[in-house]
Amino acid sequence: MKAIYTKYKREILVFLATIILGVVFTVLNPNFLMWRTMLTIFQQMVLNGLLAVGIMFTILTGGIDLSIGCTFAIVGIAVANCCVRGMNPFLAIIIGLAVGVVLGAFNGFLVTNLKLQPFIATLGTMSLYRGIAYVVTGGAPVTNVPDSFRNIFNGQMPGGIRYYVIVMVVVFIIAHVILSKTRTGDYLYAVGGNEEAAKLSGVNVRKTKYIAYIASGACTAVAGLVMLASLGSAEATAGIGYETNAIAAAAIGGTSMAGGRGTALGTFFGALLLAVLKVGMVVINVDSFWQYVVTGLIIVAASYFEFMKGDLAAFAARHKKA
Amino acid sequence: MGKAVEFVGINKYFPGVHVLKDISFSVEEGEVHALLGENGAGKSTILNILHGVYSEYEGDVFLHGKKVAFKNPNDAILNGNISKVHQETMVVEELTVGQNVTLGYQPKKGLFIDFNKMHKEVDAILTELDCRFRSRDIVKTLTAGEKQMLAIAKAIYHHSNIISLDEPTASLTSKETEALFAVIRKLKADGITILYVSHHLEEIFQICDRASIMRDGEYIETLEIKDTTEDELIHAMVGRSVSAVASRLKPSRAADEVVLKVEHLSDNDGKYKDVSFELHKGEILGFYGLVGAGRTEVMRVLAGADRKISGNIIFKGQEIKGNWNSTKALKYGIGMLPEDRKTQGFNKLDTNYNNIAISSLEKYMSGVFTSEAKKLKNAERFFEELDIHPNKPEYLTVNMSGGNQQKVILARWMSTNIDVIIFDEPTKGVDVAAKAEIYRLMEELVEEGKSLIVVSSELPEAMGLSDRLIVMSEGRITKELTDREAFHSDEILNYAIGGN
Repeated sequence: MKAIYTKYKREILVFLATIILGVVFTVLNPNFLMWRTMLTIFQQMVLNGLLAVGIMFTILTGGIDLSIGCTFAIVGIAVANCCVRGMNPFLAIIIGLAVGVVLGAFNGFLVTNLKLQPFIATLGTMSLYRGIAYVVTGGAPVTNVPDSFRNIFNGQMPGGIRYYVIVMVVVFIIAHVILSKTRTGDYLYAVGGNEEAAKLSGVNVRKTKYIAYIASGACTAVAGLVMLASLGSAEATAGIGYETNAIAAAAIGGTSMAGGRGTALGTFFGALLLAVLKVGMVVINVDSFWQYVVTGLIIVAASYFEFMKGDLAAFAARHKKA
Repeated sequence: MGKAVEFVGINKYFPGVHVLKDISFSVEEGEVHALLGENGAGKSTILNILHGVYSEYEGDVFLHGKKVAFKNPNDAILNGNISKVHQETMVVEELTVGQNVTLGYQPKKGLFIDFNKMHKEVDAILTELDCRFRSRDIVKTLTAGEKQMLAIAKAIYHHSNIISLDEPTASLTSKETEALFAVIRKLKADGITILYVSHHLEEIFQICDRASIMRDGEYIETLEIKDTTEDELIHAMVGRSVSAVASRLKPSRAADEVVLKVEHLSDNDGKYKDVSFELHKGEILGFYGLVGAGRTEVMRVLAGADRKISGNIIFKGQEIKGNWNSTKALKYGIGMLPEDRKTQGFNKLDTNYNNIAISSLEKYMSGVFTSEAKKLKNAERFFEELDIHPNKPEYLTVNMSGGNQQKVILARWMSTNIDVIIFDEPTKGVDVAAKAEIYRLMEELVEEGKSLIVVSSELPEAMGLSDRLIVMSEGRITKELTDREAFHSDEILNYAIGGN
């Protein structure tokens, strides 16, 4: 029990913070504690959660993927076009995932083969991918995506749980298993923790970084599919600014921006906390402009807490001795 | 003379650890006082308390008889006139020497920095210290030794009368070390008190008046250097007698079989030129040279860390074709323990057992998944075998002492099946006891039929360990000495400075 606590301290703390937040909202408006609100929260967190778990892979290696919002738009447009032209929806999904993987791999190419700084490289592809989205669509939305595609994600389980919520949970579970149970996971943490040491240990740093950017592209593609299914249309302006929320979720969940530290579980709770905050503030009728203020404060508080942790531990140790 | 520094009953705790236990001792004004102890003895911690890095501790610190409690290092520099020169000096490479020396306290004329005044003042200090570089030089053009001087100049600029030097010679050539000692003597003549931390005992005998010794967070004793011996110091530091001299206790295991052959290795910048040599099975092959001779660069290519530009690597008779990288090097069986452990040796965020397992993950699988338990079990075996302290495979490697970190990295390679292990400065920053253990481990490795390359800038170490010794100077091999009985230090030094 203690071992689990030490290992997942950050995750447990973020989860507890989420619960406390939920209690506060419930006190302010008892309607918050309804099954329907819970469903809304989970639906609300799906897109950000998927993007966050993807971007977390790149952050773990000491990099970043700023292009996810644009990859997200391109995947939506590509799959929408396929579906509208009558393609088998499952084939369209595979094409969507492939698009995400290719765009992610291109980021990986820039970062590893051309040795560009990830921030600059993906700042470039952010504009590049967005431009492609505009050029392909001519700025017009692609509409009337058939239900045969939409139902794959939008369908409901008993209790009203949408399939896409399940999809998100599955993606998180896969990410968790990759990070904690496979060699690839160890290599990702090793590269992020100390790239030079990893290289000198014989770790294939290039391949590891490629995997991170491809994972980011793939998770983003899943988010793009969910978005397309729930809206029924795709447009080039989709996902603008989504990368910031994804980074926020990962950071709140304990992902270190310097790389080498972070878990899928933490990112899940980070995204959950942001969703609880968003839905809760609607339930208690907080003005939407204020929501930005509160979200910002939460992000700052979470990073300050991370910073404080060392001091707190030292303080506790001193007083135990005295 | 009075007491420059006095510690009274200092206790310091880190989470779960009592790192300093009731430390009391004093440093006389105007003396060069050595602070000795193994890694983890608490030398850095007591210095950090003195210099205001840690403001939370029990006990009292007196400077010149006055009780002080600095809030931070700046407070110590400005109000205590006490400066610390770091192991790796902290400088802004892109600025001038003058800007670095005066950083934060530049002389001003109105709103702007008075550069003329700055450079005049700093040049005066540099002249006083017999430095050849000037205030207007850009710092990145300076050598490691000159940067050290810059840090001392900074201390003088702030009118420090107590200066701590933490391993100041770690990255200096012998000539630069001589220059540093000359400056230390000069400072001493001016009445400045020096605290000197070093693992090189011969330096202590050259430059220090007294030495205070610490062990496991406790103060042991203070000895007059002129009345003591190296053995007595080591005994006080380690608590028992240890030979710190690099030597071979077992007969050579070198065979005729060539494991690794390097032909005409060169790069584009002339850091190493036309390097060719052979490594035999069971051999310890030494590489000696001055800092900058190109040894590390050659080794990094062999380990696949840097690209091979031109030349051939032939491993067990098979020429290596195509791209050469560290993953391939591991597959063939070559691994390297880097000189700079902290930045290249291990993942500071991770545990010992993970840092050990990272090069041999295929051994710790259950099905398609890696097994934490198997990694831990492997690490436990090596903690036992290599006698790693503390015996905690689950601790973060960054919290281990230098010698034990080195053993953790060695355990990583011993967990793989590699045949060639390259040690780059294997005992840099490693204390005496651990040094002796690492030498013994090297002998055990060659007993097992491994072949070792040892790069060392310490001549006694290179001579004491090697079966054969290759001397490099300015990127070229200037001599290969094949008879270990006939190694002669004058001859080797001569080849290292490029003579013949």
